[in-house]
Amino acid sequence: MNAVTATATQSYTSGGKGPQDLKLGLFDRVSGLFEIIGKLPDVMSDEEVDGLMAVLAEDTRKSLSAMLIPRAREGSMAFMKMLARWLEDARNAPLEGKKSILIPFCFPPEIIHCFENSFPLTSEVLSSLGVIALEGQGERYYDMALGLGLPDHICSANAVEVGSMLGSDDFQPQAIVSAAVGSCDINSKTHELVSNYFGIPLFILEKPVDGSERGRAQYQKNFDRLVRELEEYLGEELTDDMLRRTCEKVNKANRLMAELWDLHKAVPDPVPNLFSLYSYAARFAMWGTDLAIESMRTLVDVSKRRLKEGAYPADSEVARCFLTYTSYYFDLAGLFNWMEERGYTYLGDGLGLLFPGVIDTSSRESMLWGMAEEAWNMPMTRQVGGESMSMCWLEDALYAAKDLGADCAIYSGHHSCKQTWSVASILRTELMKRAGVPMLALQGDSWLKRTTPITVIQQEIDEFIKNVVLPKSGAKRKLRRRGVGAAGTASTAETTSA
Amino acid sequence: MEQVIKQSEVVENDFVKKWKEGGGKVLGYACVTTPPEIIDAAGILPYRLRALGNPNTEIADAHLARFNCSFCRSCLQLGLDGTYAFLDGSIETNGCDHLRGMFENWEYVQPSEFFHYVKVPHQVNEDAMVYYIEELRLFKSAIEEHFGVKITDEAMKGAIERQETIRDKLREVYEMRMGRKPAFTGTEALSIFLLASAVPYDDFIRLAESAIEERRGTGVSGYRARLMLCGAATDELELINAIEDVGGLVVTDGLCYGARAFWSPVDTTRDPIEALADVYLKDLLCPRMYEDYPRRRDFVLDAVKKYDVDGVMVMHNKFCDVHGVDNVQLRLDLEKRSIPVLQLEKEYGSTADIGRIRTRVQAFLERIGDQS
Repeated sequence: MNAVTATATQSYTSGGKGPQDLKLGLFDRVSGLFEIIGKLPDVMSDEEVDGLMAVLAEDTRKSLSAMLIPRAREGSMAFMKMLARWLEDARNAPLEGKKSILIPFCFPPEIIHCFENSFPLTSEVLSSLGVIALEGQGERYYDMALGLGLPDHICSANAVEVGSMLGSDDFQPQAIVSAAVGSCDINSKTHELVSNYFGIPLFILEKPVDGSERGRAQYQKNFDRLVRELEEYLGEELTDDMLRRTCEKVNKANRLMAELWDLHKAVPDPVPNLFSLYSYAARFAMWGTDLAIESMRTLVDVSKRRLKEGAYPADSEVARCFLTYTSYYFDLAGLFNWMEERGYTYLGDGLGLLFPGVIDTSSRESMLWGMAEEAWNMPMTRQVGGESMSMCWLEDALYAAKDLGADCAIYSGHHSCKQTWSVASILRTELMKRAGVPMLALQGDSWLKRTTPITVIQQEIDEFIKNVVLPKSGAKRKLRRRGVGAAGTASTAETTSA
Repeated sequence: MEQVIKQSEVVENDFVKKWKEGGGKVLGYACVTTPPEIIDAAGILPYRLRALGNPNTEIADAHLARFNCSFCRSCLQLGLDGTYAFLDGSIETNGCDHLRGMFENWEYVQPSEFFHYVKVPHQVNEDAMVYYIEELRLFKSAIEEHFGVKITDEAMKGAIERQETIRDKLREVYEMRMGRKPAFTGTEALSIFLLASAVPYDDFIRLAESAIEERRGTGVSGYRARLMLCGAATDELELINAIEDVGGLVVTDGLCYGARAFWSPVDTTRDPIEALADVYLKDLLCPRMYEDYPRRRDFVLDAVKKYDVDGVMVMHNKFCDVHGVDNVQLRLDLEKRSIPVLQLEKEYGSTADIGRIRTRVQAFLERIGDQS
């Protein structure tokens, strides 16, 4: 354990209140915590979990106890161990002469993993880990960003991590890839500011707001240019072998992602609610690596086992909910676990709307095309980066709602998502009109608990399901309940409705 | 000048009414990435959308959210309440997330007779320029097809010359604000600017020339400091007036409803569409563009010198991301050079906000000290 890690470790166990740790950055604190998590056994008994919880600071304990709940424990351990390796590799990257490249969640990390000389760090995953794992939930870093004069409507998904970089002695990336240009102003502008502030290179992948073949061709040009720029910056040519090795891993992980999606169709849903978050976090940070495949395989295996057992956390599945965009990450127990314990299934959310494909590995051109296709289909890029924000988002949300048999949709209303907020009313109207799916529009910050407390969110979801969803879909629910129960044999939503 | 101010205070001014009565068509656009020359070349009046500080957004709020900038909500309100009923169509550009949402909702609720989306890249490079040039050609074709007109190269050149003449008049107005006794206040300059993209060419030239002649040799004095305004869409005459009312004379700006819209001249000797692409994309000074911040900063620094500016106000409307973040960079760079700067977040068109803004400006002027 190095000096920084030792201080970080002390900080999360003591609650991080010491004056010396005010300068300690989010990355150092999170990686210190995960260094220990990485050393935990793969299988932990309840007693061992209780022992671990006893030494943790309150916020850290709250999140970890939610993740280590028995039904999700195996998947959570696999996920956390993957993250532990990700953070360890990131920490070691500079020592190994590799360049750390900060990327947004809407950029496929496999492109960076392809190179020998670079390592991707996903801004939103780091912020989320800060919010989930650190005492104080990363809010001090958000405040540091605001202290610089950044407005309070910037996205906390970036501001927590960026605030740490700008305001503490945290790690600094050597370069940034910005791929939200065309789909999110605040994400793109925040990364531009960090690039200018530190004087580090900014590589841009712009998505034209153009769904035509011409738009796709333009995107390919932008993608190919980015690859050339990265090759030049990293002083490393992306060989066919490097591309193929990574693309094959992407394909494997994509198949597992698709399998997890299909498992959600079963009634009751055998996939623990938290796994939605884990699967896309893996996609945003570790796609293209063996670790992502291993983590995804565990999620799928656990879910298959639960399907076979007909396992579900509540007596019955009361409502199947699809979250149309981001979720809430500051209280995992209060949202994900709370929902499924009441029979409210979390079928997934907008960040999982990434429609994984299969990359043709037969040639360099086909692999670059396939990787660009993955990038084109990343969440947010694909929907609100589309020609029509409302219609591209609606098409995907409609598909998910129908395919997964959703009874309702919930828009978390993350206050910084101005582009989704600007067309959320169209989405709500059209989901109801075209599929009879009612949508609840909440207001809150997905990463900061200070905006809307989880109890308010719970109350609104509860009232919505009881007063809108259940009366509306009463007949359909009765059919489902007759066929399946918590201990009954699961069947797919399609079969049941048929 | 009186006529200019009167006509600039309303959306549907007397000249637009007259144009419509004569059977003329009007197309609305919102963003400085839209070349009005292409509309003008078709014999249609290009009209830049504005909200003129309209604080009411009750209809728009049923569609856009309170997390969207109130300028866009205000424009949408005027679109949905019939104020913009005189438009024969509108042009969308992907200026920012809020603007895209505004157009999508407007079209969703009240589809226009003619609607075209010009997709504008956020970077300048060879591929982006080729794409944008093609976008402008598609824009031209869409107008030709819908309105049944043929836009010849000659017509394009004529339109470019007309718009260039309009810009010349605006440049002249701005030049007359450089001395210690500026010929126009900031409020008056904004009034002239607003008319430039809201009335037919002949009418504007007549009004602008008359205002310039009226003010030649005169000057404003008695102010406390010379200010430059930068930031988000600002077409609020009342706001500028409130700033000037407490002694901060606005002598220039870096606004898209201002200098950023006309600073770069169009090369009339080149292929018209390619020449327009250079001005509306390559030379565009807007925080929606990436890898271009140093040019935006230098534009402000040059203006500070040229207009002998005592302090810079960088403003953004609440929830405006592109300016909200860019203003931080700009503030830091101005502070580094010891140029007094006030970073101000405001609610668009809110009269309730005026008192707070006056206080902030007064405090800023105190900080600058009396420069008269």
